[in-house]
Amino acid sequence: MLHRRLYQFLIIYFLGLALLLVIKYSLNLSDYVIPGPGEIWQTARQFFPIYFTAVINTLAVAILGHILSICLATTVGIIGRLTIWVGSFIRVAAYNIQAYPIVAVAPIIFILLGDGLSSRLLIAAMICYFPLLLSFIGIFSEPVSEIEHFFESTLRMTWWLQVKIRAFENINKLITVIVGSATLAMVGTIVAEFIAADAGIGYSVRIALFQSDLAKILVALFLIGVCTSLYLVFLEWIGHTIQKRWEVPKGG
Amino acid sequence: MQLECKDLKFQYPGTNIHVFKALNFQVPGPGFHALFGPSGVGKTTLAKMICGKIRGLNGEITTSQMNRILYTHNLERLPGWSSVREHLELNTPDENQSIVSELIDAFGIEALMKSRFAQLSLGQQNRTNLTRYLLQDFDLLIMDESLANVDELTKEKIILKIKAMFPDRSFLYISHNVVEVAKFCKKILVLRSHHKDPQAVTLEGRDYKAGRALDNKALEHTMLEIVNAS
Repeated sequence: MLHRRLYQFLIIYFLGLALLLVIKYSLNLSDYVIPGPGEIWQTARQFFPIYFTAVINTLAVAILGHILSICLATTVGIIGRLTIWVGSFIRVAAYNIQAYPIVAVAPIIFILLGDGLSSRLLIAAMICYFPLLLSFIGIFSEPVSEIEHFFESTLRMTWWLQVKIRAFENINKLITVIVGSATLAMVGTIVAEFIAADAGIGYSVRIALFQSDLAKILVALFLIGVCTSLYLVFLEWIGHTIQKRWEVPKGG
Repeated sequence: MQLECKDLKFQYPGTNIHVFKALNFQVPGPGFHALFGPSGVGKTTLAKMICGKIRGLNGEITTSQMNRILYTHNLERLPGWSSVREHLELNTPDENQSIVSELIDAFGIEALMKSRFAQLSLGQQNRTNLTRYLLQDFDLLIMDESLANVDELTKEKIILKIKAMFPDRSFLYISHNVVEVAKFCKKILVLRSHHKDPQAVTLEGRDYKAGRALDNKALEHTMLEIVNAS
């Protein structure tokens, strides 16, 4: 799992890098526009510790935001499964709000909360929250009648049991959605840092952008890719462990 | 203990097809009764109406001394996170704990108790599902093809055991098998297409019980009656 994700990322990264170098040498562009391999290597050696700390900072915020959005989406999804007006209201509101590009609200968050940790965390959580919410509402609202019927008929059904049945029956979907939204959490954090934060790899990339230093940006992209891959692999491992634990071998 | 249906009319919303036009029938007292009819005639719909899963009826379904009506069908599943034993232990009322082992033994599911539901064959799944319903408190249990995929010998053993263990309860057994309906059931409610009048005909079954002799000629006659009625 780990090596597959890392191989995929490394192949794409080095293909992209090779393409840039092909453009550089075929159009005879200066090192100022596209740096040569030597300069990229030198920059990597020089800035690796700083950028590594920055990307870990970003990853930590992304993981916190991701956990926050999973908790929130689970809570709202559980309420949204209700057949009374609260459930309908939440479902309609979720479908309408998710259609709005939430990153456009980011400047307001920075104005209100400043450019510290809370703004980055909130934007990261908001960006991965709505895709999670829509999936969670869909899963928790869909009755598994062939299992639930018995508990309803015998008056044993509780909200907790209903949620447990629906989550268990859709565990593969839930894991896929959570792993998929991890990338969004990382994207959200970097976007927030890009806009107005004072820390993280997005902030470092913004400074490199102002300096027109493509070598720094390429080093940052490499670290972002590696760290995101590691986080996704970690989530997939958790998902795989849960699936293995609940998996039942078929037999007749 | 009685189930009565008067002038029941029903059509699914958004369709012009009348499932029931003026359905009338009566199922008297406790016993193992049958609901028989060709596919698509409305047996499951009627079962869901009786247990209250389909509301907004035009007509009347009345029950006397039937407070707990349960409906079970052959597509039900047990939650996948626990074994059959754990599920039965958790979902059997205290007052019925004494009959758990007797039912498990009669239904031949002792060897499956440690298994998860998904590991069982279709016949084993249906027997397990029916067992948990029989362990509940009920006055009427509607069994919608609950013994599908179960071999004939085991099916006979199970039906006879149910009749012996629950003589004071009512059962409505939905099946397409003319022989078992004719042989084991007390009253047979034959449901017919809405074009036919009356839409339901009630026949006498042989109500065969363990240890009693079975009149084969009478059984053949009942089977013919069922076929002619449907």
